[in-house]
This record gives sequence, C-alpha cells and structure tokens, in this order.
Amino acid sequence: MLIVDGVSKVYQSKVREKLWKTTYKEVKAVEDLSFQIEPGKIIGLLGMNGAGKTTTIKMCTTLLEPNSGSITVDGYDAVKDDRKVKSLVNMIAGGERMLYWRLTGRENLNYFGNLYGIKEATLKQRIDLLLKEVGLEDAADTPVEQYSKGMKQRLQIARGLINDPKYLFLDEPTLGLDAPIAKHLRSYVKTLAKEKNKGVLLTSHYIDEVEELCDEVYILDKGRLILHDTPERLTASVFKENSLHIWVPALPNRTQKELEKLLRTYHAKMEIKQSIDLEEIEIIIKTEQEITSSVLALLSNHQLTVLKLVVEQPKLEDAILHLAERRIG
Amino acid sequence: MLQTAKATFHRNMISMIRAYPWSFFLSHILSGIYTVLFAYFTYTYVFEGVLDSRFSNYAGTNDYLSYVFLGGALFSFAVSTLMNVSRSLITEQREGTLEALLLTPSSRKGYFLGNVTQQITRTLLEFLIILIFAFLLGLQFKHIHFLSAIFIWFCAVIGFFSQALLLGSVMLYFRDTYITQNTLFVTMAFVSGVTFPIGYLPEWVAPLSWMMPLTPALEAFRHSVLEGQGLAASGSQLLHLSFLSFLYLIVGSLGIKKTEKIVVEKIFS
Ligand SMILES: Nc1ncnc2c1ncn2[C@@H]1O[C@H](COP(=O)(O)OP(=O)(O)O)[C@@H](O)[C@H]1O
Ligand SMILES: [Mg+2]
Repeated sequence: MLIVDGVSKVYQSKVREKLWKTTYKEVKAVEDLSFQIEPGKIIGLLGMNGAGKTTTIKMCTTLLEPNSGSITVDGYDAVKDDRKVKSLVNMIAGGERMLYWRLTGRENLNYFGNLYGIKEATLKQRIDLLLKEVGLEDAADTPVEQYSKGMKQRLQIARGLINDPKYLFLDEPTLGLDAPIAKHLRSYVKTLAKEKNKGVLLTSHYIDEVEELCDEVYILDKGRLILHDTPERLTASVFKENSLHIWVPALPNRTQKELEKLLRTYHAKMEIKQSIDLEEIEIIIKTEQEITSSVLALLSNHQLTVLKLVVEQPKLEDAILHLAERRIG
Repeated sequence: MLQTAKATFHRNMISMIRAYPWSFFLSHILSGIYTVLFAYFTYTYVFEGVLDSRFSNYAGTNDYLSYVFLGGALFSFAVSTLMNVSRSLITEQREGTLEALLLTPSSRKGYFLGNVTQQITRTLLEFLIILIFAFLLGLQFKHIHFLSAIFIWFCAVIGFFSQALLLGSVMLYFRDTYITQNTLFVTMAFVSGVTFPIGYLPEWVAPLSWMMPLTPALEAFRHSVLEGQGLAASGSQLLHLSFLSFLYLIVGSLGIKKTEKIVVEKIFS
C-alpha cells in the first residue's frame, strides 16, 4: 500500500524585478493531499494544467521532498528510506526525455537495469521480455536518436518497468501519442494492474481515458483535492450534461413554444442568443439525454434551416468549475 | 556501487565511440601543446635562455623547459579531468536524463567512479601525447623515478576528482558551465606553479595556491620526474594533497547531494 498523508509542497521561485532586486514567489503546488494506492488498483488523478499532478507524482517517486506530510510505500518512508522506495516505484512521463539518445533501446534498458542493481541473468531476460511487450524487438539495437516519437515513448514504458515496480506512476502517458498507440498503451496499463497486481496512478487531462481505466478518481484543483469518487459515479454526477448548440436564421414564436414543450419532457434547459447583426440565432440546450435527433426533427417540421450544429461533450474544466462552485456554495 | 560504476563506464564508452565530440580531445591536446610551445618560445627568444637567479632557488632545478613542460602537461590533464567529471550531472540535466537517473536507487559515488575511470582512458592518452610532444622539444626524462611518478599521478587523479565533485555541484547549482569552469582554470594556471614557481607570487595569493590540488601534485610530480626522487622526498606535498582530496571529497559529495534536490525543484516540465 502506498499512503500519501496530508502532503503539501511549496515551490519557491526567484522573480527578478529589477536588475539588482530579486524577490521570491511562493507557489503552493499541492496542499494537504491524502490518498492511497492499493496494489492491483488504477487510480486516476485529474486536473487542469498546473493543478499539481506532476508535483504529486514527483513526491511519490522521491524526486521531490514534501514540505509537510508523509508518503510511505509498503511501510518505507519516501524521504528517509528513499533508496528502498525507489526500488519499489517507477515513473513514466509522456514525451521523449529520460532516455539516452546515443544508446540503443537495449543499451538504455541495460544501463537502467544496472542502476537498479538487477542481476545480469534476470536483467537480460527481463529486457527481452519488455522489448517484446512494447514491440521494439526489431529496433532493439538501433540508437534511440533514430526512433520515431512513438517508439521513444514505448521504450520509455519499458524503462519504467525495468525494475518490475510494485507501484507505477504515469504522467499524462498518452499525451501526443497517435490514437492506436494510445489505445494499446491503455489496455497494457490495465493488464499491468489486473494481471500483475501493480498499483498504478495515472494523471490525465482526458476524462474518457480515466473513465476507461480507473477504479477510483481524484480531482485536483489548484493543489487541493476537490473530489474522490468512482469514475461511474463521477460521470453520472458531474459529467453527464451534454450541450447542444444549434444556429438557425430565425426562431418563430410558435417553434420556440413547441421546442420548449419538447425539452420539458426531457428536463432539458434552453438558452437563446441572438447574434449582434440579428442574422442568426443560437439555441443552446443542456441535457443529460440524447435528444439531438428529436430536436432536429422538430426544427425541420417547422421548415427551419439549421446553419450549424455543435454537440459539446462535458469538459473537465467545466466540471471542475462546477465542483469548485458547489464547494464554496 | 561497483555495478553502477561498471555500467556507467560501459555507457560512456559506447557514447564516446559513437558520438564523442573529438574536437574536445583535440582542443585539450592543443591547449596543452600551446602551453608548452608558449613556454618554449618565451624562454628561448625572450629570456634567451637566461634564468632569473631566483628560479633555481624556488624551483629546485635549472631546467626551465622541463619544468614548464611538465607543468603544462599536468595542468591540461587536471583541466580535462575536472571538466569531464564536473559536467556529467549538468549534462544529464540538459539532456533530460537527470530525473530518470535520480529515480533509481543507484549510488552516486559509483556513478562518478564510472565516469572518471572511463574518462581517464581518454585523458591519459591526451596526457601522453602532450608529454611525447614535450619530449621532442627537450623534456628530460633521464632522472625519472618511475614508480613514484605513477603513484603521484594516481594521487593527483583522486585530488582532481574530488575537486571536480565540488566544482560540479557549484555548476549544477548555477546551471552554468562556462563561467565557473573557466574562472577556475585560469586561476589554477596562474597560482599552481604551472609555468613559474609560486615563490614569485605575492603573498596574498598563497591561500589560493594552497587550495588547488594541482599545486602539491605538480611539486611532487616534478620531484619524481625531474629530480628522480622517491616518495619520501614528497611527503609533505602528498600529505597536503591527501588533505585537500579528503576535504573536497566530503564537501563535494554533500554539495552534489544537496544541489541534486534543488535542481529537480527547478526543473519545469
Ligand atoms: N519547478 C517549479 N518551480 C516553480 N513552480 C512550479 C514548478 N513546477 C511546477 N510549478 C507550479 O506548481 C503548480 C503545479 O504544477 P504541476 O505539478 O506541474 O501541475 P500539473 O502537472 O497538474 O500540470 C503550477 O502552478 C506550476 O506553475
Ligand atoms: Mg503535469
């Protein structure tokens, strides 16, 4: 069990005001955060840019020390017993860093394996296995600088697994990946948790990704935990509202009445906006149900031309604003 | 620790063979050769081979050319070692591999040991090339006490290595390679008795001379190479050198440990 207990992290950064004068700016990146990761479970950490996700991961992987609070991994303290903790955890970040570009894929894994003190025979076997699992067998002996972005990222995954970590941290792992590769990665992460009993923490911008993979979700906003729930309940309570935007040249009274009647039966809310030049009207409908086709049918019965139609999925940003408001209110 | 050292040695060897900036190698050799040539021409044409009477007094020898040649060679060896070791962590930071390295429970001592031993394979070659060049211009080896020269050279490596740890943590802290390094190298060239005995220097410079491992290393090295003396003759220099090595090793290791943490906090990704 990995236990994060009341952890806070403050960054101090220098701000140069004038040539000779610098002041320190403090950024509270994480505040009083607590959560746990059990082996075999996938935890999702959601939040907007700057919410404190990466900082949290760096603390859990001993790269940063918290200013207060504690992190223990299977009973070992992440600051005092950092070496022990390092052997139990690993981290995979999106992007192409954290690899030696002049070395081949195999040489990279071999180097990192040695830094973890893994015995030669075990290491050799593990490297072959990992290269196979991430589909880099054929490129194993090619220098990394010749890899494509996707290949580098896959090697990055193999590096993250080289010490067979019990807890794995994934920082926006699918950022910038092509859809099929991202999909493959997701299913692989699932296997790691469910079949190899690893505890996984995954950060993401994308609610879909979290919904697909995670057993539990935590939402961070400005370093604070604002929600902890299962993904099902989360989407049911926060992410259910789609919004439908329809632009029409005009909206006669009769049509509007009919539309309102229809929407009432679905408990949907409607808002009407007129463009400044009075040329078009935007109808915004917020609803939890799938009513696009009924609305369009009604409009076409009334001989109205639809100029444009946009269906907006619920956004994480909206949900966070919504939750933050609810907390204050 | 040894596993890390071995792996790091191997890793560096591979990268060196694959993509070493050979211009570095050349520039190290050239700067050594320039020092030697500069001394040669100054001595031959400016002083016309006539020495200040104080020289033999301060230097303990009349052979100015050999004196300078050895100074130039060991100086450029010191610079190479200092540069290579101290740059290793900041290079990891610049290439984006520092975090991956710090994620592992590897021993930092092993990491540096691997770095320095690998780099010695190259810097030693530079050193020998400069010595051969100096030999052609008149460096005298006829008195050399071989075993003690090698032993002193080895102690000097440890001294430079320890100093490099300290230099490395300062560079990592300021994330600067150029200014810090070059200030140190210029100072070293001036105060460590590379081209002239430190006796010529004003008194206030003495503490600076004393702080450089190159100073006692060079004195002892000259005793054994030029005067053919055994280790006993260089007892006080070796003691001085060991003291500095020990001091810098401790301060440098602590410094590296501290700055590593600070640097990760400064990495914005
Ligand atoms: N090295 C740093 N120095 C100063 N401030 C930082 C540093 N890293 C992150 N921050 C700040 O801390 C907050 C959290 O950042 P981060 O953990 O990277 O968020 P996320 O990963 O959720 O986008 C942000 O306000 C960010 O600007
Ligand atoms: Mg981040």
